[in-house]
Amino acid sequence: MDHSHHMEMSYTDPNSTMPPSHHHPTTSASHSHGGGDSNMMMMMPMTFYFGFENVQLLFSGLVINTAGEMAGAFVAVFLLAMFYEGLKIARESLLRKSQVSIRYNSMPVPGPNGTILMETHKTVGQQMLSFPHLLQTVLHIIQVVISYFLMLIFMTYNGYLCIAVAAGAGTGYFLFSWKKAVVVDITEHCH
Amino acid sequence: MEMHFIFSDTVVLLFDFWSVHSPAGMALSVLVVLLLAVLYEGIKVGKAKLLDQVLMNLPTSISQQAIAETDGESAGSDSSPISRTHHRWYLCHFGQSLIHVIQVVIGYFIMLAVMSYNTWIFLGVVLGSAVGYYLAYPLLSMA
Repeated sequence: MDHSHHMEMSYTDPNSTMPPSHHHPTTSASHSHGGGDSNMMMMMPMTFYFGFENVQLLFSGLVINTAGEMAGAFVAVFLLAMFYEGLKIARESLLRKSQVSIRYNSMPVPGPNGTILMETHKTVGQQMLSFPHLLQTVLHIIQVVISYFLMLIFMTYNGYLCIAVAAGAGTGYFLFSWKKAVVVDITEHCH
Repeated sequence: MEMHFIFSDTVVLLFDFWSVHSPAGMALSVLVVLLLAVLYEGIKVGKAKLLDQVLMNLPTSISQQAIAETDGESAGSDSSPISRTHHRWYLCHFGQSLIHVIQVVIGYFIMLAVMSYNTWIFLGVVLGSAVGYYLAYPLLSMA
């Protein structure tokens, strides 16, 4: 009686909760990589799948198990991709604004016939230790980290999360690059 | 998953149905990945050229809008052509956003293809990027 109950338990679990497509990538991937270790368990899928059971997301504590958690992860990844596009545009406009400042410094140089000429040097751009450049560096680091996070999220091969990354990138580009196009147009027209 | 580059005729790329077992299949897959990389470079150049064209074609409408805003209310007959060109510009920008989504997705697909750690696929991506850059970037400086 105990044995049959135990068998029943192990049979109902895969049928009720697990979508069948989630199991396929692990078995087919481990079969096709001929050089792999037979003892190594394939935790990472190598083909696209749609599912929300036992999806590990970036950190060891973040595991998605229900549809509600997947919806929340979809929104979070969508906002992260949008923020990434916005950060790119913001860095561009910050760079353009800080490069408007042109520094002139003049120094006297001896000229012909004993006269002294003033040679004027024009420097466009940022000094290395100035605040705008440090801000650009910090934003660059944040941008690199977020871009790697988005790559790792896409690497989970989960269809919902990949769609979230693509849709968030498109929406972020649409919202933020529209502003950039208007700004660039007006400044160019003023010349 | 082996975490180093291997020369192999078997690989599964991106989707369940794309599984390769033979040299002919591998050659075809390398060709497809190569064309994907060429398309990626082409889309990058195409997006920049499209932005250039949009900015050149519609500066007058936006400056008219700016003048109308600074002067106060514009006449009713003036606003309709301005709103029509604005509508066209929104469509253009929406089209550009779609192209951006396609570029992002193709970029990630190429990244996942390289992640298969198959050396032939990797060489296909590198060669495709080189060919794509070579063909597309001269078109960027063309008017």
